[in-house]
Amino acid sequence: MSAATVIRSTGFIGDPESAEATWRPSAGLAPQAMALETKHLSRTTAERVLVNDISVQVQPGEVLAVVGPSGAGKSSFLRLLNRLDEPTGGSVRLNGQDYRELAPRELRRRVGMVMQVAYLFAGTVAANVAFGPRQNGERLSSEQIAALLERVGLPGYQVRDVSNLSGGEAQRVSLARTLANAPEALLLDEPTSALDDVSARGIEDLVRNIIRERRMTCVIVTHNTVQAHRIADRTMILKAGKLVAIGPTKEVLRDR
Amino acid sequence: MIAELLNNLNSDIVMGMAQAAGAIVLCAAVVVLCRRFAVHVERETAISIARGLVQMVFVGMVLAVLLHGNLLVGVLILLAMTFAAAVTASRRARDIDGSLLLSFYAIAAGAGIVIAGMLATGTLTADIAVLVPVGSMIIANAMNACAQSVERFRADVTAHVGQIEAGLALGADPAVTVAPYVQSAVYASLLPRLDMLKSLGLVWIPGVMAGMMVSGASPVYAGIYQFIIVAMILAASGIAGLVVTLLMRTRAFSAAAQLALRPGERHQPPRYGNVQIMPNPS
Repeated sequence: MSAATVIRSTGFIGDPESAEATWRPSAGLAPQAMALETKHLSRTTAERVLVNDISVQVQPGEVLAVVGPSGAGKSSFLRLLNRLDEPTGGSVRLNGQDYRELAPRELRRRVGMVMQVAYLFAGTVAANVAFGPRQNGERLSSEQIAALLERVGLPGYQVRDVSNLSGGEAQRVSLARTLANAPEALLLDEPTSALDDVSARGIEDLVRNIIRERRMTCVIVTHNTVQAHRIADRTMILKAGKLVAIGPTKEVLRDR
Repeated sequence: MIAELLNNLNSDIVMGMAQAAGAIVLCAAVVVLCRRFAVHVERETAISIARGLVQMVFVGMVLAVLLHGNLLVGVLILLAMTFAAAVTASRRARDIDGSLLLSFYAIAAGAGIVIAGMLATGTLTADIAVLVPVGSMIIANAMNACAQSVERFRADVTAHVGQIEAGLALGADPAVTVAPYVQSAVYASLLPRLDMLKSLGLVWIPGVMAGMMVSGASPVYAGIYQFIIVAMILAASGIAGLVVTLLMRTRAFSAAAQLALRPGERHQPPRYGNVQIMPNPS
């Protein structure tokens, strides 16, 4: 398949209607599905072009993987989606609304992000999970915190100090902390790159199940094409900030 | 007045220059010692010594002319000193837009509030011969506090970009994400002044007290007055440190709550993939 053919392909893989909505810790944490769309998205610094004219659309319940060599602009692209960096061109739309119309803090609650390194705040696991809602004046009950931790495979971890966690556990806490905001879309920036294979597969399974349960829109950056095969419905390939291919993962990564 | 100034070029000044030469020789010896350990500060030390000497001689001459001026002249001199202090402090934050103005506001707030308070309570007289030396001490310490706060805040923020952005990504207010670094920056600016206050009289007897005793004041009153000066220095430093850190906090983020204060290329050792290149110890 040529790159042009792949770029034109925007077919959604899988049946989002059949996804099980089994987990709802509370009505307040239940998210609404949201489509994420970029149009001619670009970011240029004084030194170089980081992201160059990227237009993609991600549907609710869909996982889009972003792959490419080091320095291709994968993380730069992701950081534009929750406005951690400012685009120098183009736009990002959530359910058709330009995200510049939203307050940045509200946008980031709705478009959650799990980073490559967990970056937990000093204190207990429970305090970390409750951090996001607290910024919005909301208080998670101990039952809600327990439910979130149980969902990420850390039952009973509420009072554990974050300094005593393994890398895999820390990344699960980071995921629970992001989910506590009940985001509608989830951005994952190489969330397993610092983990061993067993921990990485555990996080992958967890993410895939949560995305399906909650019908979240998900964009994951990974340098691991095997991981993209396992987790992503569609995959886009970046090279020097430019989108060179996008389409169903099996087709895009067939020869890679 | 000029004649009086020329009369001052007497044997005291000649003796002072001889003593300054002795001090310079001692500094030169330290530079030579540093050189043995490959610490090269020759040029910087030479420039600093030359600047310090010329500046102090110049200030002495200006003060000799202005000593009989009124309060307005004193205020203008202190304002000029505040501006010079802001120029010096802002060098620590050259890559931050408007750092000169931030430093000026902070030093002027710290020193201004304290000097005005001292004048209002009569602790400080409007006599230019008292106002300028005491005011300059307060300004100099506010400048140091300002520079220390700027340096510490910038260092902490650029060392914790990941943690700060993790907070931003969770929808936190930018002020919340840097709160620990605001605290440490203000504390860092206060610590030397707290130590100064603690060691007052035990480790050092400051110049004001020594000068008052030489001019015949009661040693007990001189001691109390010196305490007041050092306490006011602490207050001015605290205000300057707090103001500059809070102003820096607003500059650390863009209008869209994005972290703008990042480690610049010139602050970082070069990286090649996951390999970080450190200075060659040889």
